[in-house]
Amino acid sequence: MTFDLTLSGSDLLLLAPEMFLTIWLCVVLAVDCTRRTINHETLAYLSVGGVVVTLVTLIWFDYAEIHGALFKDTFVLDGVAIFFKIFVLMATALVLLCSVDYVRSFKFFRGEYYCLIMMSALGMMFMASAQDLLSVFVTLEFSTFGFYVLVAYLRDNQKSSEAGLKFFILGVFTAGLLAYGISLVYGETGTLVFSEMTATPGSYGLAIGYIMIFAALGFKIGAVPFHSWIPDTYQGAPTPVTAFLSIAPKGAAMAILIRMFYVALATFKPTWVLLFVVASIASMTYGNVVAIAQKNIKRLLAYSGIAQIGNVMIGLAAGTKRGSDAILFYLLTYLFANLGAFAVVIGVSNLIKSDEIEDYNGLNRRSPFLAAAMLLFLLSLAGVPPLAGFIGKLYIFVAAIEQELYTLLIVGLINIVISMYYYLVVVKKMYINEPADPSPLSVSTPLKTAVFVGMAGTLLLGVYPQPFINWAVDATLMFSNVVAPTAAVPTLPSPIGG
Amino acid sequence: MGELALLITLFAPFLGSIALLFIPNREPLQVRGVAAGSAGVTLLAALYVFLAYDPEQGGFQFITKWSWSEELGIAFHLGVDGIGAPLVFASAILLFAGIFISWHIKDRTKEFYIFLLILAAATIGVFMSLDLFFLYFFYEMSVLPMYVLLGVWGSHTKGYLSMTDSEGRKLRDSVGFILNFGANSKEYAAMKLTLFLSAGAVLALMGILLIYHFSPVHTFDILVLREVADFDGTLATIIWLLVFFGFASIAPIWPLHSWSPVGHAAAPAATSMLHAGVLMKLGHFSIIRVAYEILPETTQQLMPIAAILCVFSILYGGFVAYFAKDTKYVIGYSSSSHMGYVFLGMAALNYISLTGAVIYMFAHALATGMLFAMAGWVYDQTHTRDIPSLGGLVQKMPFLAGAFIIACMASVGMPGTVNFIAEIMIIVGAWEKYPFQVIVAVLGIVLTMAYLFKMMRGLFYGRLSAEYAHVSDARNWVDRMPLLIMIGCSIFFGIFPMHFYNVVRSTVVPMLDRINQVSPVLTQQTTGLFP
Repeated sequence: MTFDLTLSGSDLLLLAPEMFLTIWLCVVLAVDCTRRTINHETLAYLSVGGVVVTLVTLIWFDYAEIHGALFKDTFVLDGVAIFFKIFVLMATALVLLCSVDYVRSFKFFRGEYYCLIMMSALGMMFMASAQDLLSVFVTLEFSTFGFYVLVAYLRDNQKSSEAGLKFFILGVFTAGLLAYGISLVYGETGTLVFSEMTATPGSYGLAIGYIMIFAALGFKIGAVPFHSWIPDTYQGAPTPVTAFLSIAPKGAAMAILIRMFYVALATFKPTWVLLFVVASIASMTYGNVVAIAQKNIKRLLAYSGIAQIGNVMIGLAAGTKRGSDAILFYLLTYLFANLGAFAVVIGVSNLIKSDEIEDYNGLNRRSPFLAAAMLLFLLSLAGVPPLAGFIGKLYIFVAAIEQELYTLLIVGLINIVISMYYYLVVVKKMYINEPADPSPLSVSTPLKTAVFVGMAGTLLLGVYPQPFINWAVDATLMFSNVVAPTAAVPTLPSPIGG
Repeated sequence: MGELALLITLFAPFLGSIALLFIPNREPLQVRGVAAGSAGVTLLAALYVFLAYDPEQGGFQFITKWSWSEELGIAFHLGVDGIGAPLVFASAILLFAGIFISWHIKDRTKEFYIFLLILAAATIGVFMSLDLFFLYFFYEMSVLPMYVLLGVWGSHTKGYLSMTDSEGRKLRDSVGFILNFGANSKEYAAMKLTLFLSAGAVLALMGILLIYHFSPVHTFDILVLREVADFDGTLATIIWLLVFFGFASIAPIWPLHSWSPVGHAAAPAATSMLHAGVLMKLGHFSIIRVAYEILPETTQQLMPIAAILCVFSILYGGFVAYFAKDTKYVIGYSSSSHMGYVFLGMAALNYISLTGAVIYMFAHALATGMLFAMAGWVYDQTHTRDIPSLGGLVQKMPFLAGAFIIACMASVGMPGTVNFIAEIMIIVGAWEKYPFQVIVAVLGIVLTMAYLFKMMRGLFYGRLSAEYAHVSDARNWVDRMPLLIMIGCSIFFGIFPMHFYNVVRSTVVPMLDRINQVSPVLTQQTTGLFP
């Protein structure tokens, strides 16, 4: 295999967002290095500015339908890639806004923090475009490197170091799994590009290889049984990093999962549907049940995230175009609600230096704004109308019932009720309990902006989702041919088919 | 014009709650003013809708339809029929009255009104949704504000577990007791209510998704589904059971009732009013809207289930209410007992009884609204709901005592109130098909009389404890008006029921014709109570 590295002007255009962000990252780093006296807030706004410019460029790409492939199809820019790039960048911008106050608590390296966030974002943007296994490996590791550092950023905090170490060891282990899985798949198929694998006959080597790759990606999205790092890492990491970790890598890894299973493994659909049904049921149930016992809001959101990813996998289990639309839309609703909830957590922990749920007592009296925002985000995560989460869940369920996945549907519906319990426990603390210290809390402007964006997204997607649904439908147009239409898909035996 | 009025009815409370966000909490009068204003607009618009509904024409009127998501087959589709219109009106009355009943709430007034308005608006939304998606949307949306309303502004229940009857025997609500893990707190009540209703909603959602999937057109539109959907066999039975028990949990039918008295008792007065008055009717209404419209054949086969369960509802609720010592428990259990009448009227599936059931929903909303409002007033004054420790309040509250007697009369079904018309229609209509249930229902009326008069005696007559010497009556117009409105409506429609009757009947007749077409034996009874 030889790479043809001659790039024309129009090819460069496809790479423009990534190139711009790379340059911008260096600029921020250079400014930080050369002017040590510069206010770190200026750096934050500088970074946000760069991310927003990239975001706007990508929205224009989407509008103008600038699509294409580079480097022998290893880098593609299509609807899904643009969608997930925008997704990652929105998360990045919101996380950067949330970080402004939090970064004050860092003793060193305030500037590097922003650069590392942007670097991880860059890695995830490439992940969204990864079209063959080699680029999957490279981009996945690229994005994770930034996180290794970020998770352990609170150097004198034992919990943060522990979180970093756990994340690192398990992360490196899954990187090994990924590499091994890729080598097996390459051995069986003789190719690395997804679209060239479609005609490969099934074999044990291929199955084991793909299960290893799935394990590595499952680690990224935090699906049961690859979730064990999540609670400790989420709790120990600096909260904005947790927020970033809880959403952006999940989106980017989901892009790879969709591509891999919808394109490369389309012929084996009945087999992997079973895989996702099991993973989805396990994730939803485990995440929701264990979340009930949590005393720390970050751990609660960690387990709720495991459950949410279980919901997302219902879409993959459906394995249809409708399923992929639903995944995209669901992730969008999850982005706003989850990041919003973390923004509130950051706001509270900036002020009272605690993440215990007990300390949310009487938040409504101390800061009506934060409490109302949290109420909105938690109810959206629980799937209560008229908020975004409800539409997302309904969309996913519609995709599932079209494939007649009744078991999955029933488990999913029961889980809504279970999840409602622990979200309401937090609501109870905020609204019903009386605060130990009733002094009012004030929220800084950048954080308020992030919370407002989250609230606006949560409400807008709940009340008027049509444009966003259309966006998801258009973005996944290429899967309408790849995955066979509903009628032609072989139905599964009774355990799932009901 | 009617379409506009319908939209105003739905959106005025929503806009009111949004407007409240921008009013500071330290201006309680402005907060109350905005809330009352939006509720007033809703009431006027709902009254217009109710009066402008043309019974000659029948069917769904004032239809508004906007595409909401073509991809999923959802449209924002509003309209009322002869069942929806009176219930929208009842919701608006109770919302307006509730705003004034809670005039004296001091703690976080703004948040209270925001949640109350959202609750009422969502309830109204269910009554006018012609799209299954939006029906569920508003239904679930009406459940969640209850959690906060109960938890924050509710009150703890004392001595629920040690309820004793007159001979000092311990009384236990079997189901309620078992599931009540020794907690009498409002937090417990709120959580139980929310989870119970969400679980019910999820059942119904499963049914709705099955309807969506198996209908020939992938749509949530009820008007389309009722024409094209043709379910039969096991599938129809499964869907019907999911829909029925999902929605009946809010109604609440025995044995799914245990959340309801606990929830009523813990809730603040205005919330209890809305909750017992209209929220519970969401269950009956949704069963009519989904099961009766889309699954007429199965309804015909399976509705006897409701006829059996309603016996337990009526007797069980009635007896527990008789022995309960807590004012709100008495009213709460009386509500779940009275909901049994609605199920009886629905189950008999003939013109008179179903018309009666719909009128009964409206009548019960007013009667129970009055009772809860006054129980709330007594609680605000005395800070207790324990009947044995109260007494002789008539000396301090003559107006309230008078109103209470009228409310009891209404609840019992005294001629002159709209409850009488509804009850007599249910009883007459159901006699042919379910004579045993009708006997039980008549017995239930006697029971109602017994426990309501017992409570009245306990509260207002006897010796006034010195502890309560300071209590005061509802003196000014703010406190009296809501009671007078509800009493006025109850008596007005009791004396002039014809428009009401025609409106309901215009919808009930074609609906039952569709249902009973399967076995025409039951459609004999065509003569109305009023020719």
